[in-house]
Amino acid sequence: MFKHYRGLWMLMGVALAVFVAVSFLGPVTVGGYQLKTASFAEVLMAEAEAEAVPRGATAVAGKTKAATRKAAPAKAIPAPVDTAAKTILLIGDSMLDGLSPRLSAYAKKNGHTLYTVIWYSSTSEVWGKSDKLRHYIKTLKPNYIFICLGANELFVRDIRNKRTKYVRNMLSDIGSIPYIWIGPPNWKPDTGVNEMLAAETAPGTFFLSNGMTFTRKGDGAHPTNASAAVWLDSVVRWMPRHAAHPIRMELPEKGMKARPKRIFLHRPDEH
Amino acid sequence: MLLNITDNILRQLSYIEGEPMLFSSGLFWVLFLIFLPVYAMLKGRRRQMTVFVIAFSLFFYYKSSGLFVIMLLGTSVMDWGMSRLMARTEVRWKRRLCLWTSLLTSLGILAYFKYANFFMWNWQQMVGGNFEPMDIILPVGISFYTFQSVSYIVDVYKGRVRPTEFWMDYAFFLTFFPALVAGPIVRADYFLPQLRENRAATREMVYMGFWLILLGVVKKAIVADYLAQYNDLIFAVDPATGLPGYSGFETMMGIIGYTMQIYCDFSGYSDMAIGLALIMGFRLAQNFNFPYKSRNLTDFWRRWHISLSSWLRDYIYIPLGGNRKGTRRTYVNNFATMVIGGLWHGAAWKFVFWGAMHGAGLAVHKACKPYLGKVADSWPVKSLSWGVTMLFVMLLWVFFRADTFSDSVNIIGHAFSDFSLDYVPPFVSVRWLWLIIMGVIVVSHMLPTGFWDKAGAWFVRAPWLVKLVMFLVVIQLVLELQGEDVAPFIYFQF
Repeated sequence: MFKHYRGLWMLMGVALAVFVAVSFLGPVTVGGYQLKTASFAEVLMAEAEAEAVPRGATAVAGKTKAATRKAAPAKAIPAPVDTAAKTILLIGDSMLDGLSPRLSAYAKKNGHTLYTVIWYSSTSEVWGKSDKLRHYIKTLKPNYIFICLGANELFVRDIRNKRTKYVRNMLSDIGSIPYIWIGPPNWKPDTGVNEMLAAETAPGTFFLSNGMTFTRKGDGAHPTNASAAVWLDSVVRWMPRHAAHPIRMELPEKGMKARPKRIFLHRPDEH
Repeated sequence: MLLNITDNILRQLSYIEGEPMLFSSGLFWVLFLIFLPVYAMLKGRRRQMTVFVIAFSLFFYYKSSGLFVIMLLGTSVMDWGMSRLMARTEVRWKRRLCLWTSLLTSLGILAYFKYANFFMWNWQQMVGGNFEPMDIILPVGISFYTFQSVSYIVDVYKGRVRPTEFWMDYAFFLTFFPALVAGPIVRADYFLPQLRENRAATREMVYMGFWLILLGVVKKAIVADYLAQYNDLIFAVDPATGLPGYSGFETMMGIIGYTMQIYCDFSGYSDMAIGLALIMGFRLAQNFNFPYKSRNLTDFWRRWHISLSSWLRDYIYIPLGGNRKGTRRTYVNNFATMVIGGLWHGAAWKFVFWGAMHGAGLAVHKACKPYLGKVADSWPVKSLSWGVTMLFVMLLWVFFRADTFSDSVNIIGHAFSDFSLDYVPPFVSVRWLWLIIMGVIVVSHMLPTGFWDKAGAWFVRAPWLVKLVMFLVVIQLVLELQGEDVAPFIYFQF
């Protein structure tokens, strides 16, 4: 009986061994193209985490790095909440898959209009080099911007020298439009992206996500949708006391679902 | 570090809400590698094999639905108990009592979990009260195993199936993991004799099963999930206007895309389920037979989700009278059966409408059949029949996918009213891979059936190394094209 299964078992076993090995050793490049790897290593090696606990504000206040110091607004008195309906532009990397639905619910609840632009695998470098941000600001005319970028730059060495100019390019495109830059949800210690972002953004515009706990998807990096919702709730709770330009963000009713007015998607290889 | 790895493994093995174990996942792959040699060793010892497979199936269900596994066990005990009581008596009212006890339990559970909110909402709409929906989680696959449970108890009552002597045999049938959460709906008269015979899988069965799994993975994890990334954008309508944020042409592409997505998603799952069963030495009936080749609705329903269509025919249409009570009654029975079929898919009016429209379409086709039979079966006629059938099926899929009935109407309206070929060049330049995948799957679907039989036979004979390379290529393609989120099977929600 077993002989019929031997060949199949070996076949599946060898294939599994190949994908597990590649997952641990790193991606293989074929003809200049880097093959994607399975997430065995991430799943097995993911650091033990507690349940997602909303502690965004504490995470910001509890850190001692320069990032933390810069994250708090310079003013001692919180800025008044702008209650006008906003056209919000949410831009960033794949983390927006989780953040966008929750921000949509906030937008619906508070009468804002939300546009989401997801550029998969993007970094401050690709945004800073391209004219996409300028284009969306010009066409959609947002008067509030949320950015979530940095997750794909956690491990860039010498990041200050390499990426500062691109972050500045982006901030220059944004100009005087109020914005919040949501820092990446670190799953490992970064090489300085949070400090660089905190240093480059204006006071009260950078939300440090590092230090928060998340329930993550199978890839070990992206928060689950539920955890991403808690993440955004933390940003919203942080805004009235710390943001340079807080806007009306009343909590949506439980279970409220909404979508952005439009979602624009960009592939990783777009420029 | 070792502790961390152990924690992560345990986490993977525990129930995570909203993350059912998919046949195409790495976790299932690893578990199946452990399962297979143990199963092979126990196959000759039927009792031990039965216990082992039930245990694995219950774990599989636990991973998808958590403690609802207890409810599944309870259903199996109730059905088996009633079937045994039925077997012991010839008294009609006692047999009926057993039948209805089992049916009311199974269908009552299904009604509570799936339809309670729907019926209460509609009731409140009629009487004008304030309705707060209950927080009910739908156990994965409940509609599928409930239908298996119903067919078993009815067949035992009618004397078509001999009740199993041991609970374990019935539990094996009801919880058989390849078909547990999304079908095919297995029938006791077809499956239980195979369990009793407990025949060993031949080499051909093992590799043909593996071939079907590969096909299923390609359909589900490569084609359906990739197409879905675009289709989801189209069906995400603007809540303010109820319209998609895309042009009519792009919306039309999304509708066509969803037509292929749902086919590849569900038939892919069925292929994997049938393949897994075949590897284990069990034959499950075919569930899809190239449905988009159909040239009329009757033919479509003979090819689409065959296990459900035949279940509806045997347990609803025929008991209602089938075609034995005159033409008008036949149409009514047909229509009612399809409405129930629509409601089986989901507790919402859009599903009722979807079923009703198919019911109406079937009735119209039946009524026109004498006249259609007189038309020459030429190529233009064939093409027209195919085109009309596909358009009808495609547009009705919109009701299946869109969030609400009004969204569906808006999406269809927008696809036609805003249609312009000006969007073709930019669409081709941006969505070229989507188009290629659509093209490949459409051509593959339209190939003669014999081609796929030959391909399967070739794969079985192919050298081991060729099989390995094909498997590696398929898995790498899955990794390359998968989206950020793991997409559950569409039919898990039913």
